[in-house]
Amino acid sequence: MNLAGHPRLTIRGLTKSFGGVHALSRADLTVMPGEIHGLLGKNGSGKSTLIKILSGYHRPDEGSLEIDGKPVALPIPLGRSEAIGLSFVHQNLGLLPEASVLENLIAGDHERVRPWFIDWGSEAQRARALFESYRLDLDPDATVGDLSPVKQAQLAIVRAADRVSAHKAHASPGLLVLDEPTPFLPIEDVRELFAMMRDLVAKGVSIVFVSHDIDEVMEITDRATVLRDGHVIGTFDTRTTDRNDIVAAIVGRSLTQERRVDAPPAAAAPLARVSALKGRVLGGFDLELRPGEIVGLTGLIGSGYDEVPYLLSAARPVAGGRLDIGGETLDLSSTAPAEAIARGIAFIPADRQKQGLALDLTLTENAMLPKCPSGVAGLFLNHRRRETATGGLIRDFFVKAVSPRQFGSELSGGNQQKLLLGKWLQLSPRLILLDEPTQGIDVGARQEIYDRLREACRGGAAVICASSEFEQLAMIAHRVLVFERGRVKAQLEGDAINKSSIELACYGETRIHA
Amino acid sequence: MREKSIGYQFERFGLVLVWVAVIAIFALMRPDTFLTWSNFSSIFGSEAVLVIVTLGLIIPLTAGDFDLSIAQTLTFVSMLTAILSARVGLPIEAIVPIALLAGAAIGVVNGSITLFFRVHSLIVTLGVGTFLHGITLWMSDSQTISGVERTLMNWVIIHRMFGIPISFYYAIALALIIWYALAYTTFGQQLLFTGRGREVGRLTGVAVGRVRMTAFIASGVMGAIAGILYTGTTGSANPNSGTSLLLPAFAAAFLGATCIKPGRFNAWGSVVAVYFLVTGINGLSVLGFRTYVHDLFYGGALVLAVMVSQLVSGRKERTL
Repeated sequence: MNLAGHPRLTIRGLTKSFGGVHALSRADLTVMPGEIHGLLGKNGSGKSTLIKILSGYHRPDEGSLEIDGKPVALPIPLGRSEAIGLSFVHQNLGLLPEASVLENLIAGDHERVRPWFIDWGSEAQRARALFESYRLDLDPDATVGDLSPVKQAQLAIVRAADRVSAHKAHASPGLLVLDEPTPFLPIEDVRELFAMMRDLVAKGVSIVFVSHDIDEVMEITDRATVLRDGHVIGTFDTRTTDRNDIVAAIVGRSLTQERRVDAPPAAAAPLARVSALKGRVLGGFDLELRPGEIVGLTGLIGSGYDEVPYLLSAARPVAGGRLDIGGETLDLSSTAPAEAIARGIAFIPADRQKQGLALDLTLTENAMLPKCPSGVAGLFLNHRRRETATGGLIRDFFVKAVSPRQFGSELSGGNQQKLLLGKWLQLSPRLILLDEPTQGIDVGARQEIYDRLREACRGGAAVICASSEFEQLAMIAHRVLVFERGRVKAQLEGDAINKSSIELACYGETRIHA
Repeated sequence: MREKSIGYQFERFGLVLVWVAVIAIFALMRPDTFLTWSNFSSIFGSEAVLVIVTLGLIIPLTAGDFDLSIAQTLTFVSMLTAILSARVGLPIEAIVPIALLAGAAIGVVNGSITLFFRVHSLIVTLGVGTFLHGITLWMSDSQTISGVERTLMNWVIIHRMFGIPISFYYAIALALIIWYALAYTTFGQQLLFTGRGREVGRLTGVAVGRVRMTAFIASGVMGAIAGILYTGTTGSANPNSGTSLLLPAFAAAFLGATCIKPGRFNAWGSVVAVYFLVTGINGLSVLGFRTYVHDLFYGGALVLAVMVSQLVSGRKERTL
């Protein structure tokens, strides 16, 4: 890291608010040439707002930006970031899987590649030389979709680095922003990416490394800046700072919120047992559920906790696993959603607009679909009765709707979610699976949803709720399981559950429960 | 409430009003040739085939799939019926079940390829339809086959009720069945979710694949019924009979989705749309326009119908 001369990037007093709420408040950030600089913070801390200002997506309210000592006018016009020396690799990498490595490498490179004639031979040669200079084993002719995830990440990063350093508008090696490129990679592959990042900074490139994973940030960065609630809490030298100080800066001191959990269910016979559940990331998850229990699942992005509801409801292909419920054993790898529903499993997905409700159908059609009778009774649907039943659900679940004949798209998000909850809870399920049940929903609706879940539990059902909102889990869960890399890393129970203890378990390295 | 607003009712019956207006205009211009019972009864009778093809189309359309092979299913079955009757000499009572089975089998082929290989139904049925046309030409040596047993004609075009050939009543009966199935059965709801919220349906336990397969089989059978009636209408089978029916049927299906139950493919909307389109064409030919008016009218109607339905759904979003 070269500390002499101008910094590569200087941000001063960057402020952005949305509807009166400060997403970013007078943020300062300095990145030196050849430095790897970590950017840490929880969801909603302002990290993504900062990055979106840098990429030109947001116009800041106040603040200034300098690159290599030269002031840059804000907002940055979209698509011009490379010309001023910034380049981005986002979590989804922005590659086209059907196209070749070379096609992906030159796609959108209007600076260098002529639009009317592409010299594929010399482009391939140039690509080989580029890959060689970073010691990357990439074949320009390979199809990107066939590459391993780490190779895809390498390609995205080398493309971004090449784009900015080869840009004719400046002589700077540039600044790369890597926005969570690692959460789906195994540790060995993360190491491989780190080696590549070290090669990049050796050539003078600066890197801003955004990650949830403190250990990764501690390992690869020179310094790290922590954001919380839109404020810069501090910039730390990651070689000399204690890990716990960084965790404290990320988490902060949170107020204790109202926790309204019914008395933990008495030790009854288990209602359901999950054994050796395997998914994309999830590797062998076991769980025993008592009737009346609410179990929260959480973890950082890519830790696999959010797969559980989709796997147990057979919504996604299951690599393996069994579910014992109501005296029956389901082999989940060969179960259809209908079979899970017949066993009393209800699943409320996070994507309510695509998976929960068909928004251009009516409320009645949506709410009554699971009640449609089969066999001969299915030949005589009684619309009046269906509408009356839907009207009942609308009342019971406090859905603000004009008529059961309305279209789903005419309801607000919170009311759609309440209707979705009603659609499933009317079946009196034994096991209720939820993924992010209150995403984009106002506080009042949230409380109503929590009340409904507690009510179902009093009736003997059990709830599994995957959520990235720790506060929510702290409010409703009897048990919280924290995941890391597909496994349960910590289990919190009873009074030990609060927002900070969940945060600590997520970011911390202590193993409370193996 | 939406149902009670005059605007909504106008939208529902708009096409019916336009149809009446079209009849009135042609009636004023050619009272003695256009506005005669014999002209109308021939329109109602002869276009029953088009009604049935359109009704067949809306089943897979509701489930989100296209069946472009339906017109060639009609041609193939029509030819099969003519050959089995005129050349093989089978009685009509034996031919009808064979013909219906052939239609169902075509549906199974369409459905299997679409579902198993996950190819878009548009491509699959385009290919299967062309293939069927090839078989039809081969079977018939590209000739019109005539000499079909007269019983079939009796039961399609010769018998009349209230002066209208009986084939019209078959079409109305089928419309009644499809209307009921779409509106009042679990299968209708499953079909709807398969088309409008496939993932929602799947996660609510709808066997989406089976529903789509059933829809293809249903449209195959409808194509076969239309084929039998086609042969019965003329007493012969022409190897190119269905080719000119595909576009009108699509135009009617989409135009029908703008009325009666706007925003959805529906049986009565399809019936109204077919008779609106053929009335227009009949009127124009009475006025002396030549055959090119068919293409102008059907092609224009299809594009116009899609534009109108887009406007209708756009209006829905704007009034939120």
